[in-house]
Amino acid sequence: MKKYGRLLLAAVLMVAAFAGTAQADAQITIALGSEPTTLDPQIREDGGERAVNDNIYDTVLGRTPEGDLIPSLAVRMPELVDAQTWEVTLRSGITFHNGEPLNADAVVYSIKRVIDPEFNSEQISFFSTIKDARATGDLTLHVITDGPDPILPTRLYWLKVVPPKYSKDPKFAENPVGTGPYRFVTWQRGQHIDLVRNEDYWGPAPQITSVRYRFIEEPGTRLAGLMAGEFDLITNLLPEFTAHVPKSVNVLGLEHPIIILNADKGVTRDVRVRKALNYAVDKQALAKGLFEGFAQVAQGQLLSPSFFGYNDQVKAYPYDPDKARKLIQEAGAAGQTIELIGTSGRWLKDRDLVEAVADYWKKAGLDVKVRIFEFNEYLNRLFDRKTRADSIFVVSSNELLDADKSFSAYYKAGGVGASNTDETLADLIDAARSETDEQKRESLYHQAVELAHDQAYFVWLLNIEDIYGLSQRLVWPGRVDARLLVKEMRIQ
Amino acid sequence: MGRFIYRRLIHGLIVIFGVTIIVFVVTRMVGDPVQVMLPLESTLEQRAAFEKKLGLDRPIYIQFGEFLGNIARLDFGESLWQKRPAMDIVFEKLPMTILLTAVGIGFACVAAIPLGIIAALRPGGMVDRVTVFGSLLGLSVPQFWLGLLFIVLFAVQFKILPTSGAATPAHIIMPALTMGLPTLARLVMLVRSSMIDELNQQYVKTSFAKGLPFVRVVGLHALRNAGLPVMTLVGWEVIRSLAGYSVVVETVFAWPGIGLTAIQAIERDDLILIQAIVFTAAVCVVAINIAMDFIYKLIDPRLKLT
Repeated sequence: MKKYGRLLLAAVLMVAAFAGTAQADAQITIALGSEPTTLDPQIREDGGERAVNDNIYDTVLGRTPEGDLIPSLAVRMPELVDAQTWEVTLRSGITFHNGEPLNADAVVYSIKRVIDPEFNSEQISFFSTIKDARATGDLTLHVITDGPDPILPTRLYWLKVVPPKYSKDPKFAENPVGTGPYRFVTWQRGQHIDLVRNEDYWGPAPQITSVRYRFIEEPGTRLAGLMAGEFDLITNLLPEFTAHVPKSVNVLGLEHPIIILNADKGVTRDVRVRKALNYAVDKQALAKGLFEGFAQVAQGQLLSPSFFGYNDQVKAYPYDPDKARKLIQEAGAAGQTIELIGTSGRWLKDRDLVEAVADYWKKAGLDVKVRIFEFNEYLNRLFDRKTRADSIFVVSSNELLDADKSFSAYYKAGGVGASNTDETLADLIDAARSETDEQKRESLYHQAVELAHDQAYFVWLLNIEDIYGLSQRLVWPGRVDARLLVKEMRIQ
Repeated sequence: MGRFIYRRLIHGLIVIFGVTIIVFVVTRMVGDPVQVMLPLESTLEQRAAFEKKLGLDRPIYIQFGEFLGNIARLDFGESLWQKRPAMDIVFEKLPMTILLTAVGIGFACVAAIPLGIIAALRPGGMVDRVTVFGSLLGLSVPQFWLGLLFIVLFAVQFKILPTSGAATPAHIIMPALTMGLPTLARLVMLVRSSMIDELNQQYVKTSFAKGLPFVRVVGLHALRNAGLPVMTLVGWEVIRSLAGYSVVVETVFAWPGIGLTAIQAIERDDLILIQAIVFTAAVCVVAINIAMDFIYKLIDPRLKLT
């Protein structure tokens, strides 16, 4: 009997051990394209750093996977006190991983830290309108903006809150401490970063217990790692690789390849030519041929449907080569030269897109001069405010999911990449920038979208989908804002 | 001897200094790091402020003076991209590349010498023809393709080796092989032809006639004389891989070495880090060249170090 007792004990232990491994097995490995250079969440503007820190830190506001703003560290959406002051109320009882309390002081500190000119954050463009912040209670604070800023809630979605005491420690950039669902464990530079579940997380407990990040620049090697079973999730899966992975997830992303047309000079000065350039391009074919269908035709605007300001009444110029040819002839532009500037290797299929568009334009009757530059040289032309090229290809990405950022840069006269001097359009964008009534603001953007579409200031091409490769066991629906939130993943 | 070292060191310093100055001038002429670092949509004011903060708005001669002062202290400043001292990054990545080079080229040497000798013993024979064919193959196959082929074969199909990274000794096998095979191919050809030349020399025939054992004649006398050109090639291979040619292998296998870092720094226009890497590469090249001279002397005492 004693012997059997021992056997039974051994069996129980084995089952327990198995159960233990099953529990411990809730760990995943994610392969990213680039390694973070620092884990201080407020310095760099860098996708690799964000992918990791989005799990260590919480932001004041969050977004649903579909892109709607929701409270996160804040207990409710911020409220306007006066035109320039927003009141934020925080959840109570949250602490950082090192025990520091999350309170109004911590948020005020984080805001002041990131906007401090001495700190020189690369993220400054996300917070440029914030002038000041002050605590009004233990859990309430006021954020003061430089003029009315309706986008402030969106900015707070970007604001990661850091611990006031510990973040002054030089070790902070290597050993981050946040309030998020995962705690930092280790960072072997060049190799991997490990995080483990924060058992005291204030939100619902995530299923995944630990996550390892690996950094692999070469897409083929990332794919091989997924196929070999080493990874559970890989980012930026190439469209042509989707057939080889166990599972893939694709979500309409934040990136829009467009062509900026010079509305003031050259052959593109004539609106008929600009329209013709839109009609001439078969966007559907580009999405299919170059992106294997992992891209949608952009609906005549530099916005994804999830962005604030998206106008669902405006549609893409249909593919109509005859109409394009006719318009070009009407404008007397047949055979004239148009310069198309692009770059190579910066964005997915950038060069292919430019060359395909040039072909369509040639068929419409123009003499197209494609000029592909090295990225820095290309940027010199994109940002050249004195002489604007006839047409410049660019891929615009908008992490704030609000029209302001894209429109200020490309639509508004004088913006870093704008090639028009349309005062009416600029006024609409300016008005929207300080309009705090959400509906009025949205209608201003709808007008701006329509105006730019009618004037054909751009050739809107596509809205690219983000593609992820997943292992068989990982379940994750993806997010429109491209954040890799491990708390939303689970394994079967 | 002392004179030799002294002269080579002076030469080396001139080379290093020259290379660093060229890099300083060229990096500042072609690129604007601020443009690449900030998001595309940043305003002109934000860019200007950022540039000022990095000190890149100052006249170039002031930057250059500061740069010279820094080199003297071996301090290149903070990497624009990584926000930590550039030399820290170099010292973190360089050992990984040295390790990869040592294993890869070490493997190539160990395999090339016997293969080359055996092939040379009977030129035109079966072993010789197979070796020559294999070498040509090794020389013609692009390295990145070879690397991916290894990954697909050994990691994805057979699952006996990890695809990428550098965590365990098993991780070095595929990158080192990929690195070493083209070197092996070049080395085998050279060992073979040098040995064929030596084996036809009069002294070899005399030695055999004297009745010296085969192994002694081939392995000691002939090999030693054939060694000079072989060492030159080995030195060149080492220099090549330390000076950044390892980039292909490091990219394919995500090996965290200096070649991969160099290409990333160039992509991001990180002037500071590029300078630090080029400087280190120049120092390596000079050091290896001096070392090679000593090795020549060791192999062939008749040589005079001047």
